[in-house]
Amino acid sequence: MKILAVTACPTGIAHTYMAAEALEKEAKERGFNIKVETQGSIGIENEITKEDLEGADVVILTKDMVIKGRERFKGIPVVNVSIGDVIKKPGPLLDKIIEHLKKHNSKV
Amino acid sequence: MMEKIIDINLIDLNLNCLNKEDAIISMANLLEKCGRLNNKEEYINEVIRREKLSSTGIGFGIGIPHGKSNAVKVPSLVFGRTKQGIEWQSLDGKPVNIIFLIAVPEKASNQHLKILASLSRKLMNQEFRKQLSEITNKKKLIEMLNGLIY
Repeated sequence: MKILAVTACPTGIAHTYMAAEALEKEAKERGFNIKVETQGSIGIENEITKEDLEGADVVILTKDMVIKGRERFKGIPVVNVSIGDVIKKPGPLLDKIIEHLKKHNSKV
Repeated sequence: MMEKIIDINLIDLNLNCLNKEDAIISMANLLEKCGRLNNKEEYINEVIRREKLSSTGIGFGIGIPHGKSNAVKVPSLVFGRTKQGIEWQSLDGKPVNIIFLIAVPEKASNQHLKILASLSRKLMNQEFRKQLSEITNKKKLIEMLNGLIY
């Protein structure tokens, strides 16, 4: 399972990074491959490159702010989630996403 | 040398306050006393405006009210702890006991912002949260918070 994600919040000071951490932690515990780009007050960090897109199963985008460069992810299933849900319950969130992917794509 | 983001005068381990707004005001008072604000009222208004956008109660009994504004002189962090839980419209519905009030000028250095980003990430760590709720030595707390490196 390869997950890409981008997080961003209104002030870009705290939630952006909490959500990134929560996702990384949850995914790594499950042995998934994950890369999370943060679009915060520091600017864009850990940017998702063309090479990263290859073989990605899903893209998770937080929907509290406009995500820059979302056109990069064309052709990959994109899930929009609230940043609060990512911080509060990354586990159930991933469960739901995986279930959804399984329904629509048998190879996952 | 870069001014530290928090010092001993920006810690209140026995915060005595009635509600969220009261907590924000009393912690902002510490910022003002330490000369870290240009305009206290303006800063408080910004924090409350941000709070209304969506609550900063991230769950686990922690609230991180924050404001980015020209009313802030020096990037700062205030740590407050309170025995009685404060209602904060948290993500998990639980009251808040640990509060980080964050103050950032419109033009803050990346170095400071990275400390705050690092703190945010650390707050997702259960062991770190446990330390925050138990620590009684202010100096150790400051070392812990100033020592966050991205």
